[in-house]
Amino acid sequence: MWLLVFCVVVWCAITSNPGCRVRQGSGTSLGSQRKGSLASGAYASRAARCRSQVTISYGKAADKGSPVDKKYAVRVFDDEGKDVTPHPLFHSDPDTAVPRQAKLLASSDYSGGVLSSFPMHQTGGDGSFVEPFSRRTCGNSSISKPNASTMEFMLDEIVEPGSQGDTAVSLSDVQVRQEETEEQLTEEDLDRRVDIYLTETETIWMLDMPSVVASVESEDAGRILERNKIYVDICKNRPGNDRFVEKMMQTINGAAKNKEVQCDKIVMEDKGMVVTSWDLYDSFNVSETEPTSKGEATNGKSSTSHMTKKHDQTASVTSARGNITSVTTLESAALARIHEGEKNRLEAILTSENFQQDLFFMERVLMENIFQPKLAAYRQFPVLIDPAVTSDNVSTVVAVKEAKQEEHDKGKKDKEAQKEALIDPSIPSDLNKALEETVPPSLEQLWSYTCDLTKGHNVSSMAWSKVNPDLLAVGYGAFDFKEQKKGLACCWSLKNPMWPERIFQCEHGVTALDFSMASPNLLAVGMYSGTITIYNVRSCTTTAILSSRDSSARHTGPVWQLKWLEQDRDTADDDKRERLISISADGRLTKWLIQKGLDCTDLMKIKRAGSMKKNLPCEKERKSVVLISRQAAGMCFDFHPKDTNFYLAGTEEGLIHKCSCSYDQQFLETYKGHKGPVYKVAWNPFSTDMFLSCSADWTIMLWHQNSQMPILTFSSTTTVVHDIMWSPKSVFIFAAANESRVEIWDLSVSILDPVITRFANPEAKFTSVLFAKNTDCLLVGDSRGEVSVFAPQNLAASSSTKVDALSDVISPALTT
Amino acid sequence: MTELENYLFSGIPIRTTLDNSTTVQYAGLLCQLTMKARSTVRDIDPQNDLTFLRIRSKKHEIMVAPDKEYLLIVIQNPCE
Repeated sequence: MWLLVFCVVVWCAITSNPGCRVRQGSGTSLGSQRKGSLASGAYASRAARCRSQVTISYGKAADKGSPVDKKYAVRVFDDEGKDVTPHPLFHSDPDTAVPRQAKLLASSDYSGGVLSSFPMHQTGGDGSFVEPFSRRTCGNSSISKPNASTMEFMLDEIVEPGSQGDTAVSLSDVQVRQEETEEQLTEEDLDRRVDIYLTETETIWMLDMPSVVASVESEDAGRILERNKIYVDICKNRPGNDRFVEKMMQTINGAAKNKEVQCDKIVMEDKGMVVTSWDLYDSFNVSETEPTSKGEATNGKSSTSHMTKKHDQTASVTSARGNITSVTTLESAALARIHEGEKNRLEAILTSENFQQDLFFMERVLMENIFQPKLAAYRQFPVLIDPAVTSDNVSTVVAVKEAKQEEHDKGKKDKEAQKEALIDPSIPSDLNKALEETVPPSLEQLWSYTCDLTKGHNVSSMAWSKVNPDLLAVGYGAFDFKEQKKGLACCWSLKNPMWPERIFQCEHGVTALDFSMASPNLLAVGMYSGTITIYNVRSCTTTAILSSRDSSARHTGPVWQLKWLEQDRDTADDDKRERLISISADGRLTKWLIQKGLDCTDLMKIKRAGSMKKNLPCEKERKSVVLISRQAAGMCFDFHPKDTNFYLAGTEEGLIHKCSCSYDQQFLETYKGHKGPVYKVAWNPFSTDMFLSCSADWTIMLWHQNSQMPILTFSSTTTVVHDIMWSPKSVFIFAAANESRVEIWDLSVSILDPVITRFANPEAKFTSVLFAKNTDCLLVGDSRGEVSVFAPQNLAASSSTKVDALSDVISPALTT
Repeated sequence: MTELENYLFSGIPIRTTLDNSTTVQYAGLLCQLTMKARSTVRDIDPQNDLTFLRIRSKKHEIMVAPDKEYLLIVIQNPCE
């Protein structure tokens, strides 16, 4: 408060011209006062009035550096000699033993008399400091008019601005004193180099009044100009004008206080990470997958908790039995639980679907590695020669070319043969060519589809999938009545020749099968019992989706052939749809529909033809032949490739009937020639007037549909011909499976002998043949359950598909 | 001709047809290689993922089918 008063006092001194006033002492006995008139400079008169005066000596307050303590630099004595130095009302820090204000009133001695008037003349308006200043008080208490107001005024009067400096000094002195208490200056310190850094702070805008611009032509323009003029006038009049006063003012610096705080050391850690783009991607997707994973986690947890519950129960049971051992059992139970948990996890992994799938792929990859050369040969790619393997090849070319005996293991010999047959840089090329010219065509076995499951079964039929040319369905079933056992239908894939993709166990031997065209996942299987079942190959289950076992119109004899057919024109009013046609030993050629189950309509019932009587000349009259059934067993059929309305049916009697779908009472034609059951008929896919038939009478016959007599007969063996098939690539080539060998005939080369003959293993009998659609290879099934894949080598393949080519070739035979 | 091993990602063999030391060695090395391969594949396209890894050497072919929880390793000798 004192400070504040003091400041006010200071301010008053500045503003008033007379400048220095003497501060009166405290309002004690000092009644002296001094009349002060602010405006006048009548110092002398005043001074005269003062009888007592107080000298104020300004002590060493100006000496900033002195360490000497000045408690009271300014002291005021009244005329009695009492120390009337006013006490400061404001006490600063107790450490700082400086009452600032006291300093200001420095009085050294008291001397009577009038102080020499201090040159306090102030010219008007300037706040100039006058030096030296001295204070003067009229110490007479009896001075006239010591009214409180003036006293106050005097009290309030501030010492001249010099004191301001004094204040500053005092303050700095205070500060100095403060600093003193902290350190003792030493000589070294004085000599020490002190660096003073001067920096410029950034500009602090106290007031920013941007100028306003107005157009000369605006409405306010006149007013603005006038105001501008007035302003300019004022500025001109400013100096020397009484109306303008400049004042300065000092603001108080607040008392600064330093405070220190110590905190715990901040531990810094450096962490580095390599972020990859998939890391970022995963983190973004974590939030999405979290709910699902949580669900899985809860499932997992529930299962494990169930496990732990079971263990708890067992543990409790065991502990109930033996008290002593209860602890150990609990422990072991706990351990067991942990192991169980781990075991479960491992089990879970091993049985998981992912694992199964991985195993599946791995198996396929392994197969691919093993069979790569064979598969390449199958596809007619050039075979890659493994550089690590060529060192093994020492055999010559010639030894390889001969058809080797069929071996069960597709071992190195075949592979060597393969490689040297196709690419062998070690043999000089001309030798190779020369050898090739003299080497006859042969069948090279690539591999065979076989596994433990199929061993011992007789391959009865094979069929390619209509969509996937690498998928093969093989039916296993015995032909003979005596050999009947449970049959099998397997789907083999090219990618895995060692295990079938699908295995369908059947009750009876499978005698026929075929893939559907319209729904390529359907496989129709005909059995020895006459049942036709349809399987869905797509699913992994092995149950049939449809079966004719319970159908009332099912076949009562073995189904010898099945075919899915799309008919151009149907007898019924149905639209073009695919039908399953079957022929069976009960003499019926039936068409099956899939409508809520297998439903069938008969296309034809093969009637038994009357026996020819010319070989019984002794008979005079016709005896009615007592027949067990009027039906003749049908063995095979084939629809015409161009017109699906009529077809051929081969019977057990040796007759081949040409029939039409639209007329089921009678045959169109009957071809007599065979003396035994006709096992297969096949239209030539290119030259569609010809067809081929094979029979148990060891012969294969080529017919023309217009001729009742066979055109050509091929008899090269004394064994039953089980199967024949025309090559899909060439009009002249067909394959035949006799029991002991498989033959490839090329009619353009020879009509008497097969071009290639491949002998079977002594134990095996070839029972079926199938040409591959996308390659030249031939599949041959045998009675041991093997389906061997053969690639014809050096077959002078005349891939002529001209319709008349065959007849051209044959016509010489015809004429003879 | 072929050997099959089956590992947890932690390196513990679940099932193997080789001896233990070889198994552990293959496990450790192939684990790292698989991770690197997977990182490579996914760096190029984060939506892609590694399904199969085959290493063909003079003496063997090593095939690895990685999964989240396990690693299926098959070592195949050539057919000869």
